[in-house]
Amino acid sequence: MRLFGPTELLSDVIEKDLCSGCGGCVEICPYFRSYRGKTAMLFPCNLEKGSCYACCPKAEVDLDALSMRFFGKPFDGSPLGHHLSVQVSRAGKKIGNRGFQAGGTVSALMAFALMEGIVEAAVLTDRDQLMPIPRLARDPSEVFQCASSKYAAAPTLSAFNRAVRDGAGRIGIVATPCQATSIALFRSNQLQKPDFRDPASMIIGLFCTWALDYRAFRNFLSGKINLSGIRKVDVPPPPAEVMEIFDDRGKWEIPLGEVRELVLPSCSFCPDMTAEFSDLSVGVLEGHPDLNTLVIRTERGMEIVSRARKEGFLFTEDIPEENLKHLTWAAANKKKRAIAKIKSEGLFNTDGERRSIFRFSEKTAGKILDGEEEK
Amino acid sequence: MNQKKHSPRLLMMGNDAIARGALEAGIQIASGYPGTPSSEIIENLSRSAAERNIYVEWSTNEKVAAEVAAAASFAGLRSLCVMKQNGVNVASDFLLHLAHSGTRGGMVLVSCDDPGALSSVNEGDSRPFARLLEVPLLEPGDFQEAKDMTRWAFELSEEIRNFVFLRSVTRMSHASGCVTAGDLPEKARRPAFRHKGFLLDPDSGPVISLLPGVPELKHGPQQEKLRKAAKLFEKSSFNTYKGPEKPDLLIITSSACSLYSREAVHLLGLEDRVGILKMGTTWPLPPELMKRHLTAPDRILIVEEVLPFLEENVKILAAEAAAELGIKTFYGKKSGHIPSVGELNPDVVISALRKILGLPADDSTADFLKKAGAIAASAAPHRELTFCPGCPHRASYWSIHNAIELDGREGFVCGDIGCYTLGFLPCGFGTLKTIHSMGSGTGIASGFGQIRRFEMDQPILAVCGDSTFFHAAIPALINAVHHRSPVTIIVLDNRGTAMTGFQPHPGLDVSVMGEPAVDIDMAEICRSLGARVEIRDPFDLEETERTLKLMMEETDGARVLILRQACSLSPEKKGRKLFEVTVDESVCIGENCGCNRLCTRIFRCPGLLWDGQKKTARIDEVICTGCGVCAGICPSGAITKKEARV
Repeated sequence: MRLFGPTELLSDVIEKDLCSGCGGCVEICPYFRSYRGKTAMLFPCNLEKGSCYACCPKAEVDLDALSMRFFGKPFDGSPLGHHLSVQVSRAGKKIGNRGFQAGGTVSALMAFALMEGIVEAAVLTDRDQLMPIPRLARDPSEVFQCASSKYAAAPTLSAFNRAVRDGAGRIGIVATPCQATSIALFRSNQLQKPDFRDPASMIIGLFCTWALDYRAFRNFLSGKINLSGIRKVDVPPPPAEVMEIFDDRGKWEIPLGEVRELVLPSCSFCPDMTAEFSDLSVGVLEGHPDLNTLVIRTERGMEIVSRARKEGFLFTEDIPEENLKHLTWAAANKKKRAIAKIKSEGLFNTDGERRSIFRFSEKTAGKILDGEEEK
Repeated sequence: MNQKKHSPRLLMMGNDAIARGALEAGIQIASGYPGTPSSEIIENLSRSAAERNIYVEWSTNEKVAAEVAAAASFAGLRSLCVMKQNGVNVASDFLLHLAHSGTRGGMVLVSCDDPGALSSVNEGDSRPFARLLEVPLLEPGDFQEAKDMTRWAFELSEEIRNFVFLRSVTRMSHASGCVTAGDLPEKARRPAFRHKGFLLDPDSGPVISLLPGVPELKHGPQQEKLRKAAKLFEKSSFNTYKGPEKPDLLIITSSACSLYSREAVHLLGLEDRVGILKMGTTWPLPPELMKRHLTAPDRILIVEEVLPFLEENVKILAAEAAAELGIKTFYGKKSGHIPSVGELNPDVVISALRKILGLPADDSTADFLKKAGAIAASAAPHRELTFCPGCPHRASYWSIHNAIELDGREGFVCGDIGCYTLGFLPCGFGTLKTIHSMGSGTGIASGFGQIRRFEMDQPILAVCGDSTFFHAAIPALINAVHHRSPVTIIVLDNRGTAMTGFQPHPGLDVSVMGEPAVDIDMAEICRSLGARVEIRDPFDLEETERTLKLMMEETDGARVLILRQACSLSPEKKGRKLFEVTVDESVCIGENCGCNRLCTRIFRCPGLLWDGQKKTARIDEVICTGCGVCAGICPSGAITKKEARV
C-alpha cells in the first residue's frame, strides 16, 4: 500500500470532505482531534508517513492487499464480502428482552465476549442527545447502555486508539463499515512498527448505508424537537420512508428525503454496506424489526457465535432465501454506485503522483459495475 | 535624582534626565500611561514622589493622563504628562481642545517616539502633532539638553500660556550620558482654580476651549502664542551651529540624529566642508535664524527620522525667503538620501554624504561585514520573537487555537497591543488575525459580529489585555453588548501592565506611588453591562478549551471570558516555581509518529529543549518557571510535574 503522512491526509480527505469522522486518526497523536462529529487537524505535522494516513479508510486503501491479509484472497467485489455463512439472530434467553432496537445480537455477543474474557474491553458508541460518544466498556452492563442505533457519524475509533495507547490487550469493537476498514488497516501495521501487536480480538461490523453529519443533523432538528428529551431514533424498513424520533413528547416523523440531505458526502464514496472487514456483521432483518441478520466472516467469529449460542446468549436460525437475496441486491447496489462515483471522480487506481481512495483490480471493478440491478 | 543642589556630572539615562528636568522645574503632578520607550519617566518620578511631595499616577489611558495634568495646570501648578508616540494619538482629541483653551501653570507633554518600531506595533512620528495642535515643539539633542530643555519647557509654557510638546526618541530616552544636575526648588506652589473672572480672562475665567461661532476669540490668541514662541526660539541656546562659515553642505538635524550627523561628519573628516545646524526648537522654526544659516550653502541635507517634518518646514521657509536666499538644493527623504522608515545611524548619514558630495564609496569594511554576517548566521542561535517561559499567553493561545480549529468554522481572533500581540506569530500559533490600536480588537470584533447576519458563520473572538481592557476596550465592549453582537471577548488578565514593566492599572489595589487604590473588578463591569462572564485559569488547558468551544457556539450577544493568570515575570511569581517539571526520556516519543516533537516544535516554550542526540525533549532548568503547562500537552505522558517545594 502507498503510505503518506498527515499533510496528505488533510489535503486528500479532510479538505475534500471525504472524511467520515470515524476517529481512526484521532487519539494516536495530538494533531488530529474530533469535535462534534468533525475531525480537525490542529497543527501541522511534517512526517512523510504517519499512522493517521495509514489507518484512514478513505486514503489509498488497497482492498486487494487488505483482503489478502485477512481473508487470504484478493478483494472479489462480491456484494456481501467474504463470509462463511449468513444467519438470522437475536439475543438469547440469558440476555432476555431489554427493549433492543432490533434483535439485540450485537449487545448479546459483546456482553458474552466480555463475560467470557474473550475481550477485556469493548469499544462502543454511546449517545448524548443526538451526539454519538465513543466509549470503552469493561463491564457487560455498560454494553447494554450503549445499545440502540445512532445515525450520526461517530469518531468511535478514538476510543479504540486511546485504549491501545493505554495498553489494553484484547479489545472488542462495534464498528461501522468505514470504522471496520480503518481497524483492518490498523491491524495491518503498515508502518511496520517492531513492537506492534494486534489488540483487536473481535470486530462486530454494523450494516450501514449512510451516516448523518452530526452538526447538520442537530441544526436540522433543533427548534423542531426537544434535543435533550430524545429517547430513540429509528429508520423503519421500507416502504415507510421516514425517520422516527421519539422524544419526551412523543414520536416525530421526518421524511427520509429531508434526512438524506444531511448525509455525509463521504458516504456516497463508500462501497461497503455490510462492514466486510469484520469478524461478524450485524444488521436488521428486513421485515422483522425484532430480528437481526448476522454475517459470519471469520473462524473466530464463528467460534464466538457457536459458544454464545451454546451458552444461551444468542439465538440463530437459517436466513430465508428472500431476505438474503434482497440484502445481496441492496449491498451490490451500494457497491456499484460508490465505485462508479469513485471512478468518475478520478479517485480509483490513479497513476503517478495522484492518490486514490481505493485500489483493487480493474477486473473486479468491472465486475461490480457490470452487475445487474435486479430485485 | 533627588539631590537638592547643583551636582557634579552624573550618568543619566535620557528618561532620567527628563524626569530630573521636571523636578528642577518644580512639577507637582505627573501623569502618564506606560509605553516603551517612555515608561521610566513616570516610574522615576514615582520614586521621588514622597520626598518631593508630588503626585504621580499611571492614568487609565493617555487622554485621561493629559486631562489629569491639565487640571493641575489650570490650578496654577506645573505638571508633566508622559506617553509614547502612539499615546499622543489617543490623547489628541483632548489636546486639540487644550491647545485652544490654553494652560496656566507650566505643562509639558513628553512623547517618546520609537523610530524603527523596536517596541511598538506601528512606526510613527508624533512631531506633526505639534503642527496640528499649534503648540511649540522641542527636541533634545543630548542628555544634558534632555534635562535642561525639560526644565526650560515649563518656563516657555508659562510664558506663552500653552502646553509645550517635548519629543524624545528611543536612543535618547534609553541611552545614557553625562548630565550636570541643577537645583531643585525649595518651595511648592499652592494650587487654586480661579474661575469666577471674565469669560476670556486667561488667569481667572473659566477654562474653555472654544466659543461657538467666534473661533478668533480662542484660536486667534493661540496662534499668537505660537508666533511668540517662534520669536523666543530665535535666541534659544538649544539651536546650535558647528562648522565653517560658508559650508559646501549644511546639515539641518535634530534629536538623536544630530549625534549621528556629528559622528558621520567626523568620521569622513568633513568638518571644514560640512556644517551642522542642530535644532532644538523644531516647531515653529525661528525664521530669521534659519535664513541666516540657509544663506551661505547651496546644498542642504536634512537628517531626521521617520517623516520629513523638519524637511518640509525648512523647505517652506526657504520658499518664503526665496527672493533673499536664491535657489537651494535640498537633500533628505524626498530626494531619497535619507530613508523615511526605520531608525537612522551614522552609516546612513555617511552614505548620504558620500552620494551628495561625490566621495568615493568606502568598501574597506565590506569584507569585514561579509565575514561578520557569515559568522553571525552560522554561530548565533536562531531566536525568534516568542513569549517568555511560563507565559500565560502561550497557554491561552493554545486553547484558543484548539477551540477554533475544533469548532471548524474558521473562527478568528481580533487583537490589539500588548505582549499578546505576538499571537499572530508561531509562538501564538498564528491565532491573531487583526492587530491595531489599543482596544481595537474588541471594536473590530463588535463589527464582525454584526456581519454574521449576512450569513457569515465564522465565530468572532477578540483578545485584550487587562490594562488594555481599562484603557480602551470598555467602550468597544459596551458597543458589542449594546448591539447584541455575537462575539466572544477574551481578557488575557495577567495582573498588570506586563509588557512595559509591570505598571499597576485600575484592576490592581495599589498605585504607582505605593498608595492603596480601588481595584476595579472587570468581571463585575462586564456583568453589569449584561454580558455573560466566565473566569478561567489558562493553565487549565482542558477547561479553558471546553469553555471557549461552548462560548463560541452562542449566537446571542457578547460574552466575556477572563483568562486570569499572573505574568511569569510578575513580582509575585518571579523566581518561584509552582512545579518541578521533568521529562522521562524513556517515555518521550520524540520526533516519531504519535508526537513529532509537539512540545519543542509546536508549543515551543523556551523552557523546553530538544536534545538532538538523544532525540528526546528535556527541560531547561535555568529558565523553566515551573508552570507545568507542558505536562498537559505531552501526548505520551513523558513530561511530568510535581509540586515544587517552597
